[in-house]
Amino acid sequence: MGLALPYIFKDERHLNRSLTPCSVYFYYLSHLIEKGPHYVSEKQEKVHPVKVWDLPTRIFHWSLVALVAIGLITGFLSPEWWMGVHLWAGYGTVLLVVFRLVWGIFGSEYSRLETFTFTPREVIAHIRELFFLRPTHYIGHNPAGALMIFALIFILAGITISGLLVLGGEENQGPLAGAANYQVGDMAADIHEALTFILMVLIAFHIVGVFTEIHLSGENLVRSMIDGIKRVPDAIKPPIHRDARPLAAITTMVSFAMLAGSLLWLFSTMPPSGLIAMAVNEDFQRECGDCHEVYHPSLLPRASWTTLMAGLDDHFGEDASLEPDTAIVITAHLATYGSESWDTEAANRFRTVSPDAPIQISATPYWLRKHDDIGEATFKRKGVGGKSHCKACHRDAESGRFDDQKIKIPNE
Amino acid sequence: MKMLTLALATAAILLSAVGAQANPARDAIVAGFVAQAKAENPGFDGFSATRGEIFFKANQVGGKPETPSCTSCHGATPFTPGQTRAGKVIDPMAVSKTQDRYTDPKKVDKWFRRNCNSVLGRECTAEEKGDYLTFMISR
Ligand code: HEC
Ligand code: HEC
Ligand code: HEC
Repeated sequence: MGLALPYIFKDERHLNRSLTPCSVYFYYLSHLIEKGPHYVSEKQEKVHPVKVWDLPTRIFHWSLVALVAIGLITGFLSPEWWMGVHLWAGYGTVLLVVFRLVWGIFGSEYSRLETFTFTPREVIAHIRELFFLRPTHYIGHNPAGALMIFALIFILAGITISGLLVLGGEENQGPLAGAANYQVGDMAADIHEALTFILMVLIAFHIVGVFTEIHLSGENLVRSMIDGIKRVPDAIKPPIHRDARPLAAITTMVSFAMLAGSLLWLFSTMPPSGLIAMAVNEDFQRECGDCHEVYHPSLLPRASWTTLMAGLDDHFGEDASLEPDTAIVITAHLATYGSESWDTEAANRFRTVSPDAPIQISATPYWLRKHDDIGEATFKRKGVGGKSHCKACHRDAESGRFDDQKIKIPNE
Repeated sequence: MKMLTLALATAAILLSAVGAQANPARDAIVAGFVAQAKAENPGFDGFSATRGEIFFKANQVGGKPETPSCTSCHGATPFTPGQTRAGKVIDPMAVSKTQDRYTDPKKVDKWFRRNCNSVLGRECTAEEKGDYLTFMISR
């Protein structure tokens, strides 16, 4: 293996057997189990308490745990109208990550990034030590933990940026609504999801790592992250402690917030890219609003509207015929503002219609998929009044936006 | 003959004025149907609210299966609101309940054309329209 074997291999037990890396490791582990794995207690070292994690770092850590949990739960499990909560978890995460980077410069000793920035050589050495369950004791983050922190920050940054792109591109909301089109948002959605899976794997590794370390060192790391104190072997000399510089941190945070805020504000003054200005057409509003709500023209493609307008004398089992000149005006309006003219998520999706019912929005594959788990009984509620009554559940149906946050199913 | 038409028209207008507020636009619409009814049927002898009521409430044949009667959408009585098949509320049809009913000739024509086709599968006769209006105006 090319590694110097630790002292326990003075034990002769293995000598009669064939020596494969696997069997060596196995013997080694069995030996450790006999001796007890805790190197602190094993070596009977004296320890003394050291204040390692300052309060802001601890608050950061547990707030991040809470926000990421909220983000994951609202993203994966919840009905889409929880999107508001999901967004706030995202914005909160951005602030936390930025705070951590700032605090990594101005925080107290062990919060500083430089104290846990290791060279690749150090990282490899540490992993090798871990392999032999004999890691060197680090007061702050050890190299594996540090690697994890940078990976987490990197992934979280990726998740929040791709999230903003989804929000802007698909939903036409948030600061990037004007900058990102639907295609960009759609791509970002895949990235957002992939990064989330990577994040979950990292979190799993992080937790396993922490408990491995607890097992190996006997040091309760979870408690340290709560009270900030670690028990450090007397043999290890802590570096000279540098205090936090809260004023510098606050100044940097505030200037960052102002800079980022004005940048985002600048972006958000761009009109949402998916929505176009639509001229109000009195005839359309009046004639198509007599029997049901006026459907937004972006909800069907041009060809469907033309078909619908040509068949008004038998419109879903009813005569909805118009004076020819009025019909011409409305057909022109619908042809101008059909789904091809918009770049909202709804417009993009509703371009694919059902071949059997090309003029029915509520028969399109996307509509059926999105309303799959809403029971028939729900649609029959008095306050809903049927599948075609979009406005009952989508309070922004008139604008054609169909935002997740604007969904509210009437209770009765 | 001309005298008779005029007299009938006046009678119809007077009749409508009894039941509800007189409204020149509405009166003109009814007068128009009187003239039409006269032309369609030389034996025409005036509109009847009773016939209008029967027509409004009857189950018809020949129309679309979804809408056998005017009351499929309109309220069961002239005073109750109805509902379109797509779920939108329709205000009561009696003039005393919904004051601006039957005052826009284009709207009246449009809905008679549509609704008669849906319910009866044909245009309504001027007499049916006039009976219906007379019924609703008297309520
Ligand atoms: C005379 C009444 C009436 C008028 C006027 C009318 N509709 Fe409809 N429309 C209906 C009915 C009834 C349905 C079927 C609704 C249902 O199944 O609940 C319908 C359904 C629709 C649907 C499909 C809704 C879905 O579930 O996907 C569209 C789209 C539509 N109408 C468009 C129009 C347009 C555009 C106009 C104006 C030109 C118009 N309608 C005028 C009665 C009407
Ligand atoms: C009973 C209430 C209800 C009615 C009626 C209803 N929807 Fe929905 N709709 C929902 C719910 C709930 C969701 C979210 C489902 C999900 O994604 O889990 C949804 C999702 C959607 C979405 C996707 C939104 C997004 O960004 O994910 C669109 C678009 C949409 N509906 C369009 C329509 C249209 C068009 C109509 C009318 C023809 C309609 N809906 C009628 C409840 C309703
Ligand atoms: C499929 C549903 C439906 C049926 C069936 C129906 N109507 Fe209507 N009717 C409507 C709607 C919707 C309106 C317009 C709503 C409003 O004016 O409040 C309307 C309006 C009218 C109007 C115009 C009202 C006005 O204020 O000018 C008349 C007249 C009328 N209906 C007569 C009839 C008669 C007569 C029948 C039976 C032969 C009938 N309707 C059957 C849905 C229906």
